[in-house]
Amino acid sequence: MKRLQLQRWSSTVLSPRARTSNRLHQHLCSSSLRHQSTVAAVQESTPELKYRLNNAHKRSANLQYPSPPVNAALDSAKLASLHARLYLPSRLPLQTLARTLVDASADSNVDFNNESLATLGHDLLTYYTSEHLLCTYPRLPLSVVFAAMYAYVGPKTLAAMSKEWGVDLATLPGGEVDPGYLQFKRVPPGTVLDAETEQNGKRKNWRKTVTSKVVYDDEFGDPIKGSSNSSVGVPAELARATSVRALMGAIYLHAGRPAAKLFFEQHFLSRSLNISQLFNFSQPARDLTRLCARENFEKPVAKIISETGRLSRHPVFVVGIFSGQDKLGEGAGASLLEARERAALAALKGWYLYSPLNVRVPSSMEEEGASPWNPAHVDLGEVIS
Amino acid sequence: MATSLIVPKRPFLTLPFLLPSWSDSLSLGTRRYQSSYRRTKQRLRVKPDASFGSSQQVGDHIIHNPPSSAPSVYHTPNKFLPSNDARKAMRTQASAGYNATELPNVHKVEAERKYHLNPSDIEEIRKLRLADPMMWSRHKLAKRFECSPLFIAMVCEASAEKKQIQKQVLEAVQSRWGPKRRMAREDRQLRRAAWGRDE
Amino acid sequence: MPVQGLRTVAAARNGVGAFILQCKRLDFNYCTHGGSSRGMLAFLTQTLPDFARENPQIEIRVAPRHNKHPVIKGQYINGKEKAICVRNMEPGEILKKAMILKDASGDKLKRTKKPVTSLNESVRGIWSPYHGDMRGV
Repeated sequence: MKRLQLQRWSSTVLSPRARTSNRLHQHLCSSSLRHQSTVAAVQESTPELKYRLNNAHKRSANLQYPSPPVNAALDSAKLASLHARLYLPSRLPLQTLARTLVDASADSNVDFNNESLATLGHDLLTYYTSEHLLCTYPRLPLSVVFAAMYAYVGPKTLAAMSKEWGVDLATLPGGEVDPGYLQFKRVPPGTVLDAETEQNGKRKNWRKTVTSKVVYDDEFGDPIKGSSNSSVGVPAELARATSVRALMGAIYLHAGRPAAKLFFEQHFLSRSLNISQLFNFSQPARDLTRLCARENFEKPVAKIISETGRLSRHPVFVVGIFSGQDKLGEGAGASLLEARERAALAALKGWYLYSPLNVRVPSSMEEEGASPWNPAHVDLGEVIS
Repeated sequence: MATSLIVPKRPFLTLPFLLPSWSDSLSLGTRRYQSSYRRTKQRLRVKPDASFGSSQQVGDHIIHNPPSSAPSVYHTPNKFLPSNDARKAMRTQASAGYNATELPNVHKVEAERKYHLNPSDIEEIRKLRLADPMMWSRHKLAKRFECSPLFIAMVCEASAEKKQIQKQVLEAVQSRWGPKRRMAREDRQLRRAAWGRDE
Repeated sequence: MPVQGLRTVAAARNGVGAFILQCKRLDFNYCTHGGSSRGMLAFLTQTLPDFARENPQIEIRVAPRHNKHPVIKGQYINGKEKAICVRNMEPGEILKKAMILKDASGDKLKRTKKPVTSLNESVRGIWSPYHGDMRGV
């Protein structure tokens, strides 16, 4: 297969259609030398002074733009250090990194904000996460898949990541601001953020099932909101999340699929998430009975494995759930009922958290020299009652 | 002079660190060495266990020492492994130390289900329950028709008036609860909800 | 509803995938005529360019601070700041101090009692008195 020339695509991201000739001025002919640090001269000399005066002049000229101009990215030490801190591929230029830090609420022009990159990045992130989850834990119930997706690439996690990367927020967006700051318009204090959900309160009542969430809702099982009015401003969490998504999209565009996947594995998949803690069962014993009936196992029976202090104030019972001779799960509790519930829950988790050996994800086929694809494990999975 | 008052159980000669030392620094060093040595030896003095395997065994053998902890949920039970999984064949029947059939049940063994009620009986159950809900409660109906109260609940429902009365009774009972009992009941519900989250 | 998902945030493990250097910025302050800054001035002209080239993750600021001793300040990702006064020090010593600030996590220094801390579950689980090699009483 012929490899696509990513460099050619990425050039369109780098040099957006000119809004003003002034803004792109010097962009193409500017030297690619990175100014690593804003070093004030130890001994002030006349050319240095001139440079600084020029800089000051440029800054005031930039005031007319809603976000920093493209060529300002090369002068920003913050941006260069962020690029190095995240081990971003060298093919990702500083200008695009600066663009990922401009929210739509700061600059409404789609050629200069990160909205398009964020859309691409969001799709990539959710694709890679969902294929990882579905191939590693093929039996996970959908509601838990939603929760795990939220834990890996939900807005809260992305905002936390952006903080851990050391991205600072600009107090107010503007053309004169250092492009290393995240630029967005803040929500004025006292604004009700969930005004929309209050209006739709009635409609929510008849959409409770997981199936309806699959059909109508987004990757996290949340109702899809219409495009929010960005002129009012966005919360910092959302702006941070959007910028992280945009960065993922930018890496994909400039450095290609392998680099994007590597970035995903290093920064997203490496986070620790205990999937067994995402379950909340209401009637585990009933679900387990249904599961055993469906899979043609013997009826599950709760049996006492050991106990202590039955007549004392703090008894402990260890109860196992057996299907025939096989133990499905066991749990300890202060009452027989509690121990039985916990045992049934452990058995159900044992079913749901099955993970096949040698897990491969579909996107691993995109690597060069990949071995032939074996179908991923699929079975009935979730217990529906 | 305090040391001289201590009467050691063993003669002095076997416990050289109790003897008066020639130099302070040496005695301090010896004493520290002695105590850490003792601690190390104590740690090594583990009771022999069946799971350790005997040292007389010749050739390569596997020492199986199962952890004394509750099993992890990530360890899929053998029965739940799909048939094409390699682990299913590899796992042998590990001796759990008990026989599942001999263990006592948590619940009493359910009586054999009879399946003796026919549609006309069910019609009668519904009629009785609607006619006099105070007299024909679930338990009384279950006793009369020799089935479980759960079955009664499955085939018929109490009338709206009866539900209203029952609700008022419950409210009257709950209104007499003091703060202690109320809180205890609420805590019980919270604990119950925590079971589902495995907390 | 048989089972519900509980929402959490996946915890970061810096260094498991990528390692993010916690020092965000180093500020070098000097005085042009104070004697205590003599070493600092030499450091800024001779050693700092190489230091900056080796550590591109760190934003470096150099600013005069007149009539004061020279100081290196580190800004960290957790929002804290650490400062070291480098008066009368040789460039080599100043580089060592800069390395201290570079390698710091930004947290307060604390004693680590365990050789390893991990979010992973232990392989053998948490000991329980009701499991393992049970003997009848």
